[in-house]
Amino acid sequence: MIGLYAKAAVGAVLPGRARSLPGTVLERSVTPEVGHLADYARVCGFPLGDRLPPTFPHVLAFPLQIELMAARSFPLPLPGLVHVANRITVHRAVALGEQLDLRVRAERFAAHPRGAQVDLVAEVSVGGDRVWDGRSTYLARGAQAPTGLAGELPDLPEVDGPAAAVWRVPADTGRRYAAVSGDVNPIHLNPVTAKAFGFPRAIAHGMWTAARALAALQGRIPDAATYEVGFRKPLLLPSTVELVTEQAKEGWDLAVRNRKGAVHLVGTVR
Amino acid sequence: MQSTPRRAAVIGGNRIPFARANGRYARASNLDMLTTTLDGLVARFGLAGERLGEVVAGAVLKHSRDFNLTREAVLGSRLAPSTPAYDVQQACGTGLEAAILVANKIALGQIESGVAGGVDTASDAPIAVNEDLRKVLVAINGAKTVQQRLKLLAKLRPGQIVPDIPRNSEPRTGLSMGEHAAITAKEWGVSREAQDELAAASHRNLAAAYERGFLDDLVTPYLGLTRDDNLRPDSSVEKLAKLGPVFGKQLGDEATMTAGNSTPLTDGAALALLGSDEWAAEHKLPVLAHFVDAETAAVDYVHGRDGLLTAPVYAVPRLLERNGLTLQDFDFYEIHEAFASTVLATLKAWEDVEFAKDRLGLDAPLGPIDRSRLNVTGSSLAAGHPFAATGGRIVATLAKLVHEKGTGEGGRKARGLISICAAGGQGVVAILEAA
Repeated sequence: MIGLYAKAAVGAVLPGRARSLPGTVLERSVTPEVGHLADYARVCGFPLGDRLPPTFPHVLAFPLQIELMAARSFPLPLPGLVHVANRITVHRAVALGEQLDLRVRAERFAAHPRGAQVDLVAEVSVGGDRVWDGRSTYLARGAQAPTGLAGELPDLPEVDGPAAAVWRVPADTGRRYAAVSGDVNPIHLNPVTAKAFGFPRAIAHGMWTAARALAALQGRIPDAATYEVGFRKPLLLPSTVELVTEQAKEGWDLAVRNRKGAVHLVGTVR
Repeated sequence: MQSTPRRAAVIGGNRIPFARANGRYARASNLDMLTTTLDGLVARFGLAGERLGEVVAGAVLKHSRDFNLTREAVLGSRLAPSTPAYDVQQACGTGLEAAILVANKIALGQIESGVAGGVDTASDAPIAVNEDLRKVLVAINGAKTVQQRLKLLAKLRPGQIVPDIPRNSEPRTGLSMGEHAAITAKEWGVSREAQDELAAASHRNLAAAYERGFLDDLVTPYLGLTRDDNLRPDSSVEKLAKLGPVFGKQLGDEATMTAGNSTPLTDGAALALLGSDEWAAEHKLPVLAHFVDAETAAVDYVHGRDGLLTAPVYAVPRLLERNGLTLQDFDFYEIHEAFASTVLATLKAWEDVEFAKDRLGLDAPLGPIDRSRLNVTGSSLAAGHPFAATGGRIVATLAKLVHEKGTGEGGRKARGLISICAAGGQGVVAILEAA
C-alpha cells in the first residue's frame, strides 16, 4: 500500500493525467478473518462478535479504492485527497465467515466550493444479494471538475448537547488504525510526515473517528441502518475529544468535537 | 410484594460453544463473549429493548478492566440500558450461585425477570506485573517530586520484569485443583477404568444430544464454532486408556487422572433466563422448569479431613432433608465433571455407611443413584468448563431435560439435581422441577 502512495505521489507530478473518471470497476472477493476483525474491533472499540461492525467492510474495500485512485486513469492526484463525507448502508447484518464480493467504482466527479469532489462507491454482496453499500466522498483542493456540476454533500444536523463520553485519543491512534485498515496515508502516521502535508501533528483517520463513534452506540442501533458522517476539522493527535449523541426520531444524531467546541465529525444513524 | 414466596421459572438459556483455550476464542475477551451470549439470549427470546429485573453473572479469571463486567455487557447489549446488573464470583459455582440469587429475588417478588450465568477465558487471561515491580510502580505513581520518582526507579531490578501468570492452584495449599482431586480419588479408591468410562460416556452423551438437536435452542455459534471443540464423539474407554497420568503422578502406577478424564482449560459463556410465571406468560414465553431450592456448603480442605472438591457431598443431604426428598427421587442428576474422579468420589461418599454416620451425621447413607440418569446430555468433560459459565450451561440444560420428560415416577413432576464443586472447598447444589 505504501508503494501505491509512492506511485501516486510520482504520478501526481507527471503530466498526462486523465480529465474524466475512468469507467473502471474493481472487484475482489474476501472472507474476513477473525484475527483481522479482532484487531479492527479492538482499535475502534467494537466488541468481537459474529456480526461485522457496520464500518468494517469499508476497510475491506479500501485497498480497491486506493488502487482505483492511484491509477493514471484517475483524474485527481491521490496525495492530498481529503475524505470529507462517508455514507454506509447495511442492508442486513453481515456474519463473520460469509464470503463477501466487493465492487468499487468512482462516480459523481463534481465541483466543490474549494475544488472538486468525487465519490468512491463500494458495494458488498453475499451470494448475489447486496448486503452493504459504502460511499466515500473525497475533496481535491483547488482541482477542477470537468463540468460545472455542483457536488452534493450530506446535510447533517449539528448536535450541540452535553457530552455523552470523553475520549482520550492517544498519539499512536493513526498508526494503530493504519495497521488494521491499510490506510497508511502519512498524514496519520507521525508528526514529521504529517507536517510535510501541512498538518501541525498527525491526524486521526476520519473513518476511525466514525467507527469509534458508532461503536459507542453498540446495542442501540438496528442491524440494518444507514450511517452518514461529515468530516469537519481534523482531529490532531493526541487529543481529548467529546462524543455527543442525541436520540432522533428514527435513529441517532451524533458529533465528535474537541473541548473548545470545534467539530471533528457530525453524523446520523437512520 | 408477595407474602409467600413463589417459585422462579426457568425459561431457557443461551450459550456459545465452549472452545479449548488458546484456540478459536483466543482473541475474545470476557466482555466480548458475555455480550455476545447476552445478545443471543435477547434475540432468542425477543427481549430487545426490554428492561429486565437484573442480569447477574461473573468470571473467575478477571482483568482489572473487567470491573463491572456484567453491567458493561448489558450496556453493550440490546437490552434496555435501564436493566441493572452485577457481578458475582464463587469460583466454579459462580453461574449457579448467580441463578440462585436471581431465583430468590423472583421468588420474593422483588423482580419479575432476570438473567444469570457467567463467562471465562483461559486464553485472554490476566497477566499481572511482578508483585515487587507493582509495588514500585504504585509508589512512583504516588510520588510527588521528580527526585522521589528517580529514587524509586533506581529500585527496579531485571528480575521484576517476570510477569505473574495466573495459576490454577489453591492459595492456601499451593496444590492445583487436579492435585487435590487426585488425593480425593486415592482416598475413595476411584479406579482409572471407572474414570475413563465416565469420560467416554460424557463425550458419547453430548455428541448424541447434539445429534438429536437437543442443543439447537441452547447454543448460538460464535466465531465460526458451532459445537464445543473439546467434544470427541469417537472417544472410547480404549482410547482414553492410552493416555498417561497428569495429576497425582507421585502415586506412580496408582496415578489415575489423565488429560482425558479431567476437564481442559476452556473459553466460553453461558446464561439462563428466569422469570415469574406471570412474566413468562405476558411475554408468551414457555416455562420449562421451576427453581425449587438450593444449598451451598463449604469444607475445611486446608486443615481438615475433607477434599477440596467435596463440599457438594455435604450440601446435597441438607438440601434433600429440607425438601423431604431422598437422593433417589430424581429423574436427572447433573453433577459437574470437574474431574471424572470428583463425580465418582462424590457418589461413593453418598453410598458410604461410615461417612454418612461420622461426617454427614446421618443414620444411613444417601445410597446409590441410577447411573443412567447422570449427565445424560454430557457434562464438563466433553463440553469443557469455562469456570463461571458452567452453572448457566447446566441450569438451562436441566430445565430443558425435566421439561422434555414432564413427569417422573408415580406421575409426579420430573425433577433434577444440580451439584457443582468449586475452588476454595465450596459446593453449590440446586433442585429444578418440571413446570
